[in-house]
Amino acid sequence: MAESQTHQQWLDELEAASRSKQEKFMNSIASKLGRPRVMEAPKHPFRGAPDFWNNFEWSQEERVQHFTENFKSAGGHVARLADMEAAKQFIADKANEMSAKYIVRQNQAELEALGLEAALPDASISVWNSDPAQSWKARAAEADFGVVMADYAAAYTGSVTVLSSKDKGRSVSLLPTVLIVIIPLERLKTRLGEILPDFDRAGRASLPAGIHFISGPSRSADIENDLTIGVHGPGIVYSLIVG
Amino acid sequence: MSTTGTAGTVKERADLALNDDFLRKAVRFTTERLRNGKKKASEDHGNWDDWRERGRQIRLHTIAHLDYYLNIFTENARANGVHVHFADTAADAVKVALDIAERKQAKTIVKSKSMVTEELHLNHHLEKIGIEAIETDLGEYIIQLAGETPSHIIIPAIHKNRYQIADLLSADAGETLAPDTTVLAGFVRKKLREKFLEADIGMTGCNFAIAETGSMVLFENEGNARMVTTVPKTQITLMGMERIIPSWTDLEVMATLLPRSATGQKLTVYMSGITGPRRSEDGDGPEEMHIIIVDNGRSLQLGDPEFQELLNCIRCGACLNACPVYRHIGGHAYGGTYSGPIGAVLTPSLQKNVGEWDDIANASSLCGACYEACPVKIPLHDMLVYLRRRKVEAGHGNKIESIGMKGFSAVMGGSKRFRTILNLGKLGQKLVVRNGEIRTKLGPLKGWNTYRVTPSIPKKTFRDSWGTIEEEIRNGLQEMDPAVRSRMEAAVKNRDKGGHGHG
Ligand code: SF4
Repeated sequence: MAESQTHQQWLDELEAASRSKQEKFMNSIASKLGRPRVMEAPKHPFRGAPDFWNNFEWSQEERVQHFTENFKSAGGHVARLADMEAAKQFIADKANEMSAKYIVRQNQAELEALGLEAALPDASISVWNSDPAQSWKARAAEADFGVVMADYAAAYTGSVTVLSSKDKGRSVSLLPTVLIVIIPLERLKTRLGEILPDFDRAGRASLPAGIHFISGPSRSADIENDLTIGVHGPGIVYSLIVG
Repeated sequence: MSTTGTAGTVKERADLALNDDFLRKAVRFTTERLRNGKKKASEDHGNWDDWRERGRQIRLHTIAHLDYYLNIFTENARANGVHVHFADTAADAVKVALDIAERKQAKTIVKSKSMVTEELHLNHHLEKIGIEAIETDLGEYIIQLAGETPSHIIIPAIHKNRYQIADLLSADAGETLAPDTTVLAGFVRKKLREKFLEADIGMTGCNFAIAETGSMVLFENEGNARMVTTVPKTQITLMGMERIIPSWTDLEVMATLLPRSATGQKLTVYMSGITGPRRSEDGDGPEEMHIIIVDNGRSLQLGDPEFQELLNCIRCGACLNACPVYRHIGGHAYGGTYSGPIGAVLTPSLQKNVGEWDDIANASSLCGACYEACPVKIPLHDMLVYLRRRKVEAGHGNKIESIGMKGFSAVMGGSKRFRTILNLGKLGQKLVVRNGEIRTKLGPLKGWNTYRVTPSIPKKTFRDSWGTIEEEIRNGLQEMDPAVRSRMEAAVKNRDKGGHGHG
């Protein structure tokens, strides 16, 4: 305890130093800009995308089609499924096909309802953060499959968005070899501009620690421009559009 | 780890670069690929100039009110539980980072790509106190093993071929690895997996910081930046003081401009917005998070009408890929952290000592391609002219004519291929300086020193010249090792099919 107190004291000292430096830093910026400090929010007439863009919207079928094209051209896989039952079957089939032994999934009602445990009796399926004694990062790192629900998806860029929480680990979409993302059809938007402003509206205090946009498998072209898939993140990514 | 030549002049370093056959070809191939990827992505997206203008407006607005936005960013980040620090100089920033690392009794630090830490030579300082700092971006890992510095802002190991890489990684592995991309990347994946899981600290740069919520945003393709911000217990982020945008809504514009300009992607594989350390009930994410806001010469550009727009830069690398000089001499010849047209202006601007870097500005052709490529419309070629003028005024040159293109032509004189480009002058293709009066250079090599003033030239002039330069690159490709060539051609074909040939 003594040690952590010392650490806290040290952090407090750093904060005091930072606060006094902050004033000087900002004042010096203002003086270099040749005016007094700006303390009120300035008018920001060019906030966000150009106006013509904000009216742009695809139909549902176009969204599915463009999302599929974009995600595939980035090296990902997409399946359009009628319902969650079909999603369960898809995941079970893939797990059998690839002999997946370890699966980690987010602790979400929709995923609970899938009943993967019953569908895959031989696999070890763990539920993120369901037991505080577990090392969850290790569970995710050893997993063959990670299964998550998308909070949003954007067709124009072929991206899915996942937000972190107590029940939704950042590691689950990152550490496993294969990532499976279920996208309920109504969460599939046209543009990033239909997603990002939600975070402004939610405001600082309501944001999760991690907001991640994922647009395909991990990749690199760092060796002689030769595209390599699965460098650090999942090398195989399935998006299942359900509905 | 700043072993790559700050010694000698740009010309000397460029001579080295020009003698390295692979380097020249690889740089040209890669920059061509990135440049064409960008061209396709921006054309496909449509209304590109409207988006550029919007991006420019957002950056101009933010920088014009930087004290306000940086201040609320700081307050919001603190409210999120982040420890925010301010560093006026590189030494200040290094001190804060080392303090934290020592406090945490860190043995290893895993790092994702950060140009600011390159600027600070932070790895070197960490090493001195016995802390292993591991670059985890595949390209950065390779050049770290080689003891070198990045030669391209987006593709740092652009100058290494896979045989050289196989040698480096084999030494690292203690066994012989085949010069096969999949084998090599597979080795790095496995090796770094362990490093991520055992590291004490994760260290990142910052592409954008969102003032209104105190969040930081990272763009990447490999997933290493996510690793670095998810797995270790402590996160340290180094952020240039100008990286701010007001809101998430504004991020859409940056997310539209940055990946398309950098690699031709619609979005990088990962775009992560991180708002504070893990919440107490979360199962992962750092427990302690520090953001070090770095000035290190940036504020010198504030209030300077000629250079303030440099702060708008989003570090996409498009100006490097567009620059005929960069394409020939590669990044190391510039001798600073930042290379290409942005480096030619930024390095002296950050350093305040114009004289020392005066040959960098000369290693630029003033053709305007960098401005045309820039997603936030920074007039780099104008700035190069201002820089030369200031050097003359400061007594670092004799007279403007003597500075002129001398450095550039001297650098280029040894390259037979470059003469093709110089011959553009002969063809009447004028290389343009946008500066009220426009100087053009006509004729072959010796003519590069002679300026004359002519009326304004329409934009399309330089676009026309690209045809010739591209042809010249194609010819260059024929001289390559057939295996490399066929793979590269396949990559181009794949890309043309809309395949996944982008970085
Ligand atoms: S100056 Fe423009 S083109 Fe060059 S790196 Fe910066 S934003 Fe990109």
